Amino acid sequence: MTPRASHLGIFTLALAAACLAAAPKKKAAKAPAKAPAAVSVPAVATAPVRAVEDRPQIWHLWTDVEGRKVEAMFCGLSGDIVSLQTKDGRNYRFNTSILSPEDREFAKACAGKQIGGFSRSVVAAAAADIDRLVEARLNAAGQKLNAPATDEEFLRRIYVDAVGRTPTAEEAAAFLGDAAADRRERLIDRLLQSPGYSLQMYNWMADLLRAKDIIGKRIPAFTFEDWLKARITANATWDVMVREMISADGRILDNGAAGFLLFDADMPLDGVSNLITTFLGSNMSCAQCHDHPLADWSQRQFFEMAAFLGAADMKNESMLAEVKKLSRADSGLNRNFVRLIGEINALRIADSGQNKLTFPKDYKYDDAKPGDPVKPALIEWDAGDAKRSAYSVSTKSPVQLRDEFARWLTSPENPRFASNIANRVWRKTFGIAVKEPVDDIDDLSAASSPQLLAHLTQVMRAARFDLREFQRVIFNSRTYQSAASPAPDLSKGPYLFNGPIVRRLTAEQVWDSLVVAAVGPSADNILLRRGEDLKPLALPEGKITVALVKDAATKMQGMRSTKKSSKTAAGTDAGLANGYEGEKPQSRNGLLLARASELPQPAPETHFLRVFGQGDRLLSNSSTVDGSVPQVLQLMNGPVARLLTDPKSHAVQTAAKEKTSAKQVRSLYLAFLSRNPTAAEAASAQKALEGGLGLTDVAWTLANTREFLFIR
Amino acid sequence: MSLHTFADQLRTPEDRRAFLEKAATMAFGLTVLPAFAGAAESAAPKAPNAALPGFGKAKNVIFLELQGGMSHIDTFDPKTGASKGPGDAVSTKAGFQITSFLPNTAKISDKICVIRSMTAKVGVHASAQYLMRTGFEQRGVIQHPNFGAWAQHFLGRSSQTLPANVCVNRPSNQGNGWFPASHAPLPILDPATGLPNTSGVGDASAQQKRATLLSELDRGFGAAVADSNVKAYNDFYASTFELMRSRDLKAFDIASEPKAVRAKYGADKFAQGCLLARRLVEHGVRFVEVRSGGWDMHATLEDRMEDVGAEFDAAFAALVEDLESKGLLDTTLVAVSTEFGRKPNFEGGGRGHHPLAFSTVLVGGGVKRGYVHGASDAKGYDVAKDPVTAGAFHATVAHAAGLPLGVEIMTPSGRPMMIGNKAAPVTAVFA
Repeated sequence: MTPRASHLGIFTLALAAACLAAAPKKKAAKAPAKAPAAVSVPAVATAPVRAVEDRPQIWHLWTDVEGRKVEAMFCGLSGDIVSLQTKDGRNYRFNTSILSPEDREFAKACAGKQIGGFSRSVVAAAAADIDRLVEARLNAAGQKLNAPATDEEFLRRIYVDAVGRTPTAEEAAAFLGDAAADRRERLIDRLLQSPGYSLQMYNWMADLLRAKDIIGKRIPAFTFEDWLKARITANATWDVMVREMISADGRILDNGAAGFLLFDADMPLDGVSNLITTFLGSNMSCAQCHDHPLADWSQRQFFEMAAFLGAADMKNESMLAEVKKLSRADSGLNRNFVRLIGEINALRIADSGQNKLTFPKDYKYDDAKPGDPVKPALIEWDAGDAKRSAYSVSTKSPVQLRDEFARWLTSPENPRFASNIANRVWRKTFGIAVKEPVDDIDDLSAASSPQLLAHLTQVMRAARFDLREFQRVIFNSRTYQSAASPAPDLSKGPYLFNGPIVRRLTAEQVWDSLVVAAVGPSADNILLRRGEDLKPLALPEGKITVALVKDAATKMQGMRSTKKSSKTAAGTDAGLANGYEGEKPQSRNGLLLARASELPQPAPETHFLRVFGQGDRLLSNSSTVDGSVPQVLQLMNGPVARLLTDPKSHAVQTAAKEKTSAKQVRSLYLAFLSRNPTAAEAASAQKALEGGLGLTDVAWTLANTREFLFIR
Repeated sequence: MSLHTFADQLRTPEDRRAFLEKAATMAFGLTVLPAFAGAAESAAPKAPNAALPGFGKAKNVIFLELQGGMSHIDTFDPKTGASKGPGDAVSTKAGFQITSFLPNTAKISDKICVIRSMTAKVGVHASAQYLMRTGFEQRGVIQHPNFGAWAQHFLGRSSQTLPANVCVNRPSNQGNGWFPASHAPLPILDPATGLPNTSGVGDASAQQKRATLLSELDRGFGAAVADSNVKAYNDFYASTFELMRSRDLKAFDIASEPKAVRAKYGADKFAQGCLLARRLVEHGVRFVEVRSGGWDMHATLEDRMEDVGAEFDAAFAALVEDLESKGLLDTTLVAVSTEFGRKPNFEGGGRGHHPLAFSTVLVGGGVKRGYVHGASDAKGYDVAKDPVTAGAFHATVAHAAGLPLGVEIMTPSGRPMMIGNKAAPVTAVFA
């Protein structure tokens, strides 16, 4: 059966034991964690990892062929597509052919320079230490590392993990035909710098951070999605991103980063619980209501943490009241639209001079009275944590509380911030975390290999939270490049990483692979950005007039009518088309052929993506890779199946160019399974082609094999 | 009459040994016969609970999940005084009161059985929902099955051509638990769309040739990779081919219901899901879950009860009346469940999470009509009498569906499990 681990995403608030009914007496000092059965693992000396340099930002005044100029930061070059970011944080991607000849060369030179990151020798050393730690742990349990992965296995796996889709036939042939000794290292580097890297990182973060088109009942949160995409494309480091989210000020309309906290504007305590789990791997959800004698956290501690957001006001009530009044005053306005505009504008974070958090009315313990104000205090995991530099925060000024909290949260010296993200990214690449479940890493000693987790934490700190560099180290390890193991039964014991585990592609990975099989790798250049659509709805601060509201209401109505079709055919949306920058996606069989990150978030319920387990984005990590009959119906008979059997598809056209049917079959094998067919498989396919099937049927068949859906 | 749990009755080693010997013919956790044969998966011993009232009256179960935590005080357990809230209490002809927010339900209250003494310990959505869906607390490394998977294990398939286990408005979330993938609930994410894509691409000949080629090309991977998830997908492919050949697929199509019927249930997804459940049950699907969202009423409770609450009211009453008029109510158990209740203190326009006391409802399937089981205290804070846990709730539904209680099965990883987690059924609710 599926290891329980891979379903913990659904059950983000999984408990290790039942909560007992709240006891009226205040519980004593936190219960010490039960030490796991001692496993004798010899200590492995690891070299300290040299930290990356502060990343140089390459700012330049760019000139196009027509002489127009713009000041922008170089973010990346992939093939002919250059990625720049202007000072307002907006990201632009275009073909270098529009640049002046000098700037084309300049872009190439930028790409040639290592844009920050580890040197190759540091990567190799850190990866080698991962291998030694894993092997020591395996040996202590009488196990071994799996045999090295074949080139074909590595090829498919690295494409999926680094760029979120399987390689095309051409890409696969290029790698398999490369004889150089460092071909894997170069492929890793190239993929990490390509556009697909950002697209798949977005999917992973969108699931973790709950990127959702509509939050609350009806408020569009496109600005949050755009912010997330811009930061990922610029390879902003994780600590910076988290700090931006936690300390964001202002309206969601103006500041996308505020969208993270504003998701829970109606339930701020739930929001605190969620952020503690997401960014620290600490499960405090029970502590919201009572002490948990078997876990470490008390209700008081939860409230003391929540107090850091106690001065943060998330709804502009006076704005809401004014807009409501106005909507009644003028009979010409549609009340619902006006209230909606009010709600959108009122959703903002502002810190007041007063910390309003008090102990709840039914607080049962004797260390505080219900209604008492809560003084903010940070949690510690071990005695001595308070001495860490991260803990020097000031709680004097309520207006500064959130910023102070953000500093502590994202500090490399925070006791769990670095381990949490290192653990989660490890799970992304291996299918299982070093400490399961990822939502509870309070007791680091209970990890399957505490030494490995400590080393990964150190690598993360040395990378200064650059997730791309961190993954680069992992991808270059012998452990990652081992053959995969079948999914283990974790109830029998921890998994010690003989290799990555066999697992189903995520919904986004399946979809993206099929989209590229249909339209080719240029799908990477189709980008959806809708934050700008909301700008006309921004009412000027302090100025609310009937005319302004009317104006905004009209603009909103215009926007909505073009989106009327969004609920009907899954994936089609005429109104969406306006949101695409650069290339526009094709629409075939009622499907908009863009990669998952560039479709509605999440996709509509009956869309292929949701049926294959894309999450609803209501809870963090709600995506699954469970199977179902409707999935198989979609893949065999649905609109996606029709894509596969379309002779115009990129994969079929590529294959059709080959001169012999044997080579054509090989091309399709490379396109869908990233490998050459065996002699028996080639013979079966050949027979089928002679028996009346076409290349499109072979394509359909390959996409319906188990092998297509799984990565090993 | 208080009941010991069946575990109590099997406390002595002698009892247990004798019992396990009797149950030895059951393949522990594994299917004996192929799941498609339609027969019970093993020669099941006579259920120890068979003699108790209410056993086996329900051929079908419709399990309504109200997600978010339905406020008991604002629905089936109204209070006076400080706990009252925005709704009023309405007297029903059954003699008990329910809220003014549910007028249609009030009219059919003489058919329903309300349990006012549900109790749990956890007020966290995900784990509480898991507990009410499976009867077990969420643990780190094991996934428990939903009720339909248990039933399929003990009783086999309920139809030759349709699945025995369906979930509406929610994904499966590995509802088969440790049972094979063939026991997983078939998810219908949108009842209006039903079960699309059941016709193959191209003509029958092309479909056949592709299917043959698929089985040939699939051989290598399936054999070389001994992975349980890969095997699960093999099961799903097999189930799908079989389902495509079914002549009962119309069951999934609610568009073929008269407009008046669809209107009576309501246009929202929950209502259409209830209607779909009725159709499926008519066509022999044993167990259907239908999810309703939006019950987490921390604020704007009054508005939400007039919205989500009204949708539930119309759909639930329509479902009960529909089943009754078709003569199906006595053999169909409708269960209304929720993960916890809501706090007696009404503040900020709503109520917080409250697991210590909450309400569920049972209708049909041999359950008493117009009956209230258990009670909460005057405030609605604690259970005052006859507490019922999630496990007992499951045991009660299992008992009505004719499943054996107190029978241990072994999961593939060697853990003993009982449906309802060893709890006894609440036989007082049965007529």
